[in-house]
Amino acid sequence: MPPMLASLNPGWLLILAGVASLFITARQVRQAVTIAVPMIGLALLVTATPNVDLASADILGLKLVLYRVDGLNFVFSLAFLIAALLNAIYALHTDDRIQDGMALAYGGAAVSATLGGDLMTLFVFWELTAVTSVFMILRAQTRASYQAAMRYLGVQVLSGVLLLTGIAYVLNSRGTLALEAFTDLRDPGVLFIFFAFGIKAAFPLLHNWLQDAYPKATVVGSVVLSAFTTKLAIYALARMFPGQHYLIWIGAIMTVFPVFYAVIENDLRKVLSYSINNQMGFMVCGVGLGTPLAINGVVAHAFADIFFKGLLMMSMGAVLYRTGTVKASELGGLHRSMPWTTLFCIIGAMSISAFPLFSAFVTKSMIISEAAAGGYAIIFLMLMFASAGVLEHSGIKIPYYAFFGHDSGIRVKEAPFNMLLAMGLAAFLSMWVGLPAIVPGIGHQWLYSLLPYREEALGYSHHHLFTLDHILTQMQLLVLAIFAFVLLKRVHFYPPEKRGVILDTDWLYRKLGFGLASWAGTVWGKAGPAMTAAFGRMTDRAYAWIEAAFSPRGELARGGLTGAMAVWTAALLGVVLLLSFAAAG
Amino acid sequence: MSDETGSGRDSSGRFVRRAAEHVHDLHTPGDDGIHPVARILFGWTHRKGIANMIFWVMAVLSLVMISIDLVVHRHDSFAFAKATGFYGIWGFVSFSFAVLMGWPLGQLLRRGENYYGDAGGPPAGIDPDVQVEDVPAPTYPAEGDA
Repeated sequence: MPPMLASLNPGWLLILAGVASLFITARQVRQAVTIAVPMIGLALLVTATPNVDLASADILGLKLVLYRVDGLNFVFSLAFLIAALLNAIYALHTDDRIQDGMALAYGGAAVSATLGGDLMTLFVFWELTAVTSVFMILRAQTRASYQAAMRYLGVQVLSGVLLLTGIAYVLNSRGTLALEAFTDLRDPGVLFIFFAFGIKAAFPLLHNWLQDAYPKATVVGSVVLSAFTTKLAIYALARMFPGQHYLIWIGAIMTVFPVFYAVIENDLRKVLSYSINNQMGFMVCGVGLGTPLAINGVVAHAFADIFFKGLLMMSMGAVLYRTGTVKASELGGLHRSMPWTTLFCIIGAMSISAFPLFSAFVTKSMIISEAAAGGYAIIFLMLMFASAGVLEHSGIKIPYYAFFGHDSGIRVKEAPFNMLLAMGLAAFLSMWVGLPAIVPGIGHQWLYSLLPYREEALGYSHHHLFTLDHILTQMQLLVLAIFAFVLLKRVHFYPPEKRGVILDTDWLYRKLGFGLASWAGTVWGKAGPAMTAAFGRMTDRAYAWIEAAFSPRGELARGGLTGAMAVWTAALLGVVLLLSFAAAG
Repeated sequence: MSDETGSGRDSSGRFVRRAAEHVHDLHTPGDDGIHPVARILFGWTHRKGIANMIFWVMAVLSLVMISIDLVVHRHDSFAFAKATGFYGIWGFVSFSFAVLMGWPLGQLLRRGENYYGDAGGPPAGIDPDVQVEDVPAPTYPAEGDA
């Protein structure tokens, strides 16, 4: 390969092409670009020489590594590039220059951030993902989406500012921007970076920007959003904080709490947003465990998640596109008119639920088995609870309420062909990755051979993955959980889907914070003029009094008090007396 | 184009119904709006008593899953996980707990759709054929619209 091409970061190519797409008015040409460029990017990535600085720059005495492929970032950027391709196919029915261009640039920013070799490069593209992705929400062109986009941008930029602050500290203490894992969380710079990553990874209590913004994006936008930002954060955590034990608990809590929200949420794209949170929890937990197999699990699960979550988002996007709503209370029975979408959605649902022969079965299990091997009993139980929970909201609720259940009577056309094609490809990947290696090197072994700790992954594949123990325990969990569903439905204990919004932490700033700000505004609006008026009256009075006493027309000038001199003499005498009393006392 | 004889051939014996037509038929919903592929893939879900059947199939499968544990000696990291049917019971309990918590949590956390004043409609760019239903009008008290 020519040296120019060999040092071309595929992410940069996507960003350039994305920006160029903004100006290509001919729809076919633009769409050809959005499909061809991720393919070229894939070719560049696959042929790149690993573990070498392929492009670097010296700026202000700092060495910036702009392009470096290694065991950890390869799979992330591979998944991002494939996702960018699938997103472009999924968007073919639209004619939106801004959405097409920004989606491509957003994917490019995520790829560039993962393929960068220093903190400053990570920061620059970290911010670029925020700036490009906000258009996915803005293009929905509703007032709700505009306001959500502004909140989203605020949170994302906050994450970037925290990251930059942390980098400044770290540069000061370490003297280098290299991507070496942090060991001491007490360093303030490290803490800043930890929270910057935590916001994008949607840690508990920092999570709600995701469920606020993603469901308000366009049909294509929420599919694009589901792939990049959160998985970039997982990459960053795996790079900088592997083995930090706090993350085990943070991750486990992240897997559990969204389950409860997803059960009662009516907007199915919001259910999937909680589901993103829940799946990210498994990955954060794996980063915290930090063992080679756990890190393998994180990388593999991120890869699988990008496609099965993308697939589920695509299927809900297709429903939204055809029916104008994704509210569970309004839908039902859509399998009659959208059978292919239904089929692909079920494949996504089985993949995320970790049925044997589907992707999460071969990826999530590495993390759970490492938690068990490490002796974390409570964490293990939490992860198993969350596995039953994900079956509930993504495995059953999404397909059941959209496509089966009570027939809503809605009859629409099947999703456009380009959507079906993108869903079909994502479904294929979700199944391909889950296949047992009947022929060595295919199915899950293909993914395993790309993981950072290849030997450990293949060892796990040989000794644990498709053993009777693993299949039996997983099937027990799933079958009995499904039985719980049919039982609860039968006895009418399953809560009905109701319209409404569910309060979450965004209440703190959308209601409480906003209310406080409005209240402060009202108070200031009233108190300000009142204070000005009071001050005006005081100065008026003082002026009138002074004028009455001292002006040429005043009391003193007219000699009303036997002349000013007498007053001043009396005043001075008083002062002298006071001072002498004070001195004597 | 149409098949007049029912055999797929016209009077001179030539095939008039081509593969493309079959494919076309397979992707053209009937008057009832039901997609032909739906009948093939999911027709079974419309059978009478299917809910009952699914319930009993799942009940039997659950029993089978747990009873396999009686004959298979599983290896596990935790002693409690070796108990017969542990994973199944944990799955059942977890699932039921998550779902049943939906009742109190819904009471506690659910508010009207226009709670934040941004109920709005669907995003731009949806199928132009869609008739958008009436949604509560968004309110923007902060902007002094009222």
